[in-house]
Amino acid sequence: MKTLTLLAAMLLLLAFVWERVDIVRLGYRIERLKSDKVRLERERDELQVRVSSLTSPERIAKVATEKLGMAPPRQDQVVLVRLEPEVPSPTAPTEFEIRLAKSDALRKVR
Amino acid sequence: MAGSAYRARRFAVALVFMAGFAAVLIRLFNLQVLQAAELTVKADRQHSKTVTLEGPRGTIYDRHGKMLAINVEVPSVFGVPASLDNPSGVARYLSPVLHVRAAEIERKLKQDRSFVWLARKLDPDQGRRLEQMPLDGIGIVMEGRRFYPKGPLLSHVLGFAGMDGQGLEGLERRYETYLHGEKRIVVLQRDALGRTVFPKDLREQTPAAGHSLTLTIDEVIQYVAEKELEAAVNATHAKSGILIAMEPRTGAVLALALSPRFDPNAVAALSPDRWRNKALTDAYEPGSTMKVIVGAAALEEKVMTPGSLVFCENGRMTVANTIIHDHEKSGWMTFAQVIQRSSNIGAAKAAMALGENRFYRYLQAFGFGERTDIDLPGEATGLLKNPRSWGRRSLASIAMGQEIGVTPLQLIVAVSAVANGGLLMKPYIVSEIRDAGGRLVRQGAPQVRRRVISAETAGTLSRILEGVVTQGTGTKAAIPGFRVAGKTGTAQKIDPRTGAYSPTQFVGSFVGYVPADDPRLAMIVVIDEPQTEAWGGSVAAPVFRRVAEQVLPYLGVTSSEAVKLAMAM
Repeated sequence: MKTLTLLAAMLLLLAFVWERVDIVRLGYRIERLKSDKVRLERERDELQVRVSSLTSPERIAKVATEKLGMAPPRQDQVVLVRLEPEVPSPTAPTEFEIRLAKSDALRKVR
Repeated sequence: MAGSAYRARRFAVALVFMAGFAAVLIRLFNLQVLQAAELTVKADRQHSKTVTLEGPRGTIYDRHGKMLAINVEVPSVFGVPASLDNPSGVARYLSPVLHVRAAEIERKLKQDRSFVWLARKLDPDQGRRLEQMPLDGIGIVMEGRRFYPKGPLLSHVLGFAGMDGQGLEGLERRYETYLHGEKRIVVLQRDALGRTVFPKDLREQTPAAGHSLTLTIDEVIQYVAEKELEAAVNATHAKSGILIAMEPRTGAVLALALSPRFDPNAVAALSPDRWRNKALTDAYEPGSTMKVIVGAAALEEKVMTPGSLVFCENGRMTVANTIIHDHEKSGWMTFAQVIQRSSNIGAAKAAMALGENRFYRYLQAFGFGERTDIDLPGEATGLLKNPRSWGRRSLASIAMGQEIGVTPLQLIVAVSAVANGGLLMKPYIVSEIRDAGGRLVRQGAPQVRRRVISAETAGTLSRILEGVVTQGTGTKAAIPGFRVAGKTGTAQKIDPRTGAYSPTQFVGSFVGYVPADDPRLAMIVVIDEPQTEAWGGSVAAPVFRRVAEQVLPYLGVTSSEAVKLAMAM
């Protein structure tokens, strides 16, 4: 009985100490994660800046025309198609538009 | 005897001690009481330093959420001269990274100060290299730098912010109170060597970011506008160019382009003349585009109908002992033809039929001589004289767009009213302001200022203006498949040396909207001092066409031909 009490007391003490250590350990982890967060946020901001620089219309137009050989569609190459939804629903708009860029190649096939 | 000698010695020692203590006491009294205030300040200055922390400036987005101005955290490098042993060595070491001459760094590091900036707001790459070379007495702090990721795009509207993050021009200045981040003053403690001891929870103290702006500007339309305007200015060897695109029904500005452009990321070397938003700060004599207003007033007051016959004096008419010329000689014309062929004599006669006061009332109603109240800084009122100070020629002059100063913005707003069935809108450029948490703080909404003409008159005038493009002076603005309405203008500039109209300096312009029966896009193009040809119909109308051709499909506006084609398939 005596040894059992002693064992229980020791276990309790151990649990208490372990808990304390864990708190400290977690504290360090929180600190580390916080600094990670700051670093990642900064990285995200930097990437965002790069994305908005890279997607500037000026650059896209340049890459599209000079590297990829694209050109803005001529008026006769743009066709607007009005589609009726198959099942008319009261919430969906009754008609919507899809814009297609018709290629010259497609016309030749027809 | 020995006793008294001993006593005397003891007395002497006590005297020495007492004198010593007295000296200390006096010194203490001097320091602690007499000089207390002065010394406390000095001590505070040595071991504590007040720093203002500022939250990042708000972001500016276009109407689709594309970033136009953003704050980035960039490193700034400082030195603490007191804790450096070898300033020249450190200077040589830092020089290649900071791109600053070693001698310059060394000079700063040898100053008798506790804190010196070595380089501010560097590139993030430079910061990473610096972090890898730990040096005592050299530190890095992150500061917010304003960055415009699209370079010169929309630069005249965005403006720019200064080194300390304060808005200096454009929207940055106009919305400074919303954009700037929260400011918080933090007292930092310094140790004996002058090193900063940062409070541990400094990161949690980061002040809130500024509000973000969402504009009515569309990045893609802005790009198309800038590209085509620049091409036209280069092709005609013009001095400059202005283009404003608006939604006529709402007054929302879709694009505002000026040529030449500037890069707001590098403004230090530029003169203010380059970044001034001349579309609203500078008034010019508009020339024939003013005939739109003459037409509106004459039709509304029923002094003219589109079919009214006007005798155009075969191209020469004397008014107040001066001669008014038409660029093509003609006799009888309908009033519609007067506007379509841009007859000065016909317009002058219509204005005379209106009379000074009535014509002036319409000029005022259309917003000339007053600010449009757009949310951009530096707007000019233009110049509209009161009829009391008009000369005998003024009525005729104003009808042909002389003796009146308007800004391109005033003119596009006025013509948009015709497109909008007679309702004059207040132009606006910021559609939303949100705080750092994303909550809506303020919203820009379409605002009607007043009705200037009836919907019926607007419709009649619109059909006349369509004729300008189908058979008049503006045929180069025609877009196949779309109904375009507009008016050309060619104004002589006043030569500042002679004070008279220059025979060689012109302003060519075109103002119009499309589709005429359901206006989605209103636009003004002003080309200043083109060197090739001066006519607005030749230099400005093609720019209108090229921009509208690209923008209309982007806006999802169908051409009547495309609908026919789609129906045939």
